[in-house]
Amino acid sequence: MIEQIIVYGAISGGVYALLALGFTLIYGVSGVVNLAHGSFYMLAAYMFFVFGSSGLFGAETMLTSVLAVILAVVVVGVVGLIVYRLTIHPVLGDEVAVMVVTVCLALIFQQLMLLGFGADFPRVSWPEGSFLLKTTSIFGVTVEYSRILAFIVSIVLFAMLLMFITKTKIGKAMRAVSQNREVAMLMGINTDRLYMLTMVLSAMLAAIAGIFITTSIEKSTGAWLWFKPLALSFSIVILGGLGSIKGSLLGGFIIAFAAKTVETILPEGGAIVGVAPLAVMVAVLLLRPKGLFGKRVEMED
Amino acid sequence: MTITSYLRRAYSSFVAHVFDIPARFMAFLLFLTLLFIPLMGLAPFYLSVLIQANVLAIFAASWDLLVGRTGQISLGHAVFFGIGAYSTAILSSTVYGFGLPLWVTIPIAMLVGSASALLIGFPCLRVKGPYLALVTMAFPLILQTVIKWTPLNPVFHGENGIKIGVPPLFPFLSIRPYNQQRMAEYYFSLIMLFICAVIIYKIANSKTGIVFASILDDELASKACGINTTKYKLMAFILSGLFATLAGALQAHFSPRGADPSTLGLTMSFTPVVVAFLGGIGTIYGSIVGAYVYTLLDWFLLRDLIPRLLPSIPYEARQYLNLLIFSLLVLIFVIKWPRGVARFTTDKLEDLEEARDLDERGPRIWKRYKRKREKSSSI
Repeated sequence: MIEQIIVYGAISGGVYALLALGFTLIYGVSGVVNLAHGSFYMLAAYMFFVFGSSGLFGAETMLTSVLAVILAVVVVGVVGLIVYRLTIHPVLGDEVAVMVVTVCLALIFQQLMLLGFGADFPRVSWPEGSFLLKTTSIFGVTVEYSRILAFIVSIVLFAMLLMFITKTKIGKAMRAVSQNREVAMLMGINTDRLYMLTMVLSAMLAAIAGIFITTSIEKSTGAWLWFKPLALSFSIVILGGLGSIKGSLLGGFIIAFAAKTVETILPEGGAIVGVAPLAVMVAVLLLRPKGLFGKRVEMED
Repeated sequence: MTITSYLRRAYSSFVAHVFDIPARFMAFLLFLTLLFIPLMGLAPFYLSVLIQANVLAIFAASWDLLVGRTGQISLGHAVFFGIGAYSTAILSSTVYGFGLPLWVTIPIAMLVGSASALLIGFPCLRVKGPYLALVTMAFPLILQTVIKWTPLNPVFHGENGIKIGVPPLFPFLSIRPYNQQRMAEYYFSLIMLFICAVIIYKIANSKTGIVFASILDDELASKACGINTTKYKLMAFILSGLFATLAGALQAHFSPRGADPSTLGLTMSFTPVVVAFLGGIGTIYGSIVGAYVYTLLDWFLLRDLIPRLLPSIPYEARQYLNLLIFSLLVLIFVIKWPRGVARFTTDKLEDLEEARDLDERGPRIWKRYKRKREKSSSI
């Protein structure tokens, strides 16, 4: 039982951390609390369904699935850019207005998906018969290869992003803007362009997390499935500290282990499991009001 | 002689305090309109829609007291709304509860609401800004899950919720039962809205309100001035929770659905935000105008007009389309008028006012404007 919690918790922890990273990145750089983050996740799952499972490129094979992943991520990135430019950019700086706008966006995406695909839950998965659906065992726990793939991809992407942010020029610009926007502008950083880039990056991260979570863990998607990942990502991000990358990694694992533990102990309490991340978040915040690695907070206390 | 002088004095004070200040005159006209709407012979159904608008206005005003005046962003106001609805429903339902009358249940619900606001606010107000917004968002969801939990079904009745039925509000009025009942409910909710609006206006213009504004502007600076900001933030939270609970209690009484888990839903949390934003944040008339704009958009445009214009769309797709159009409209409103419709209008009116020739008006008004001008030029 404990092995199960550890293995499954670690696997979902990696993907959750990736999901939360997008949320924390856009907040850290531009101060936008993007409540439409879960919509990008949901959108990506639908795009994967359209390009992959619906047979747009002929029969479903491994190649078309990989193509579908790439296409879905690119499409979601473009959608994120357009949406940012049209709606979030005009109200930038007003926290509450940004939240209202992003919630409206989330509802719009939900309704568009409902209009396009109806209210049923399409099954999203890797192609039949591929090695990803076979199982192996780690520490005596049977695990599908697709989950292991999700874990590896998320850890590799996380490491790459960390490198990107700490080593490249654009990453340094991002950190500079998150520390002090005015001074960064004086140093010649084009903040508008940087915000757009961050938004695209954040949407793409949500898309990748969405595809891997839906294909390996959830197995289906639905138009209402934007709120669950949103609640997950904001509880992770708040737990780790808004704007902190380390925090989102650690928070992702903490939340995943907590959710898995509750799920194992209370097998019949289905709805309660969804609340476990929120309860953990509230409990941690009462002890540490700025999260574990809080950054970008006012000079209080 | 004395009567005419009284009348003249009353008239001149009305002119000085209401007629010559565009925002107040608009508010006065709005109040008159609201007062006479039910006498125009509307169908009971439309009256119940307007009752919902009034309840929504109270809810939005309570949110606005916390966010627009104190700057503590809450995205989980549904928690108070739901607590109000459920405590009223349990107390007053004759089938599932104690069967107490409305005059008892609403005050008790408000007490429960302010106590829960104290309980929630005390830990929550340690966190600030977006942290607070996201933490408060968690509370209604947690409570909703608890209420839907199967072992608690004997108390909260799960998904179905607790229906109160329509209580005889004014027993002496029930001659033509349904219509009169709705009218009585409408006036009851309108009076409640009016009382809440006056109380919130008075709070915002009192010394406490000034402290709230200072916290909104700069919490650190007001702390440095020796203000116990935690105390005032908690005070705002409790007051806000009190009015939100009132709105929830009214909703549970007047809506045919009573108290069900949707009163704690995410939509309910965002409704006051959208309403206050439509009207204009940080004003009392903003919430009221916003609530009516919201209701008009929701009921008369989407559920009435669009089905008539586009009758060929199937029912289900129309439901989807409605929320889509509604969110798009809200999006456009927020981007186009970020300060709200009501505020935009009053700002425009005030610009006109400034341009008008001051000599045309009475000496008192002129003096007042001169003083205002001097004040504004000195800043």
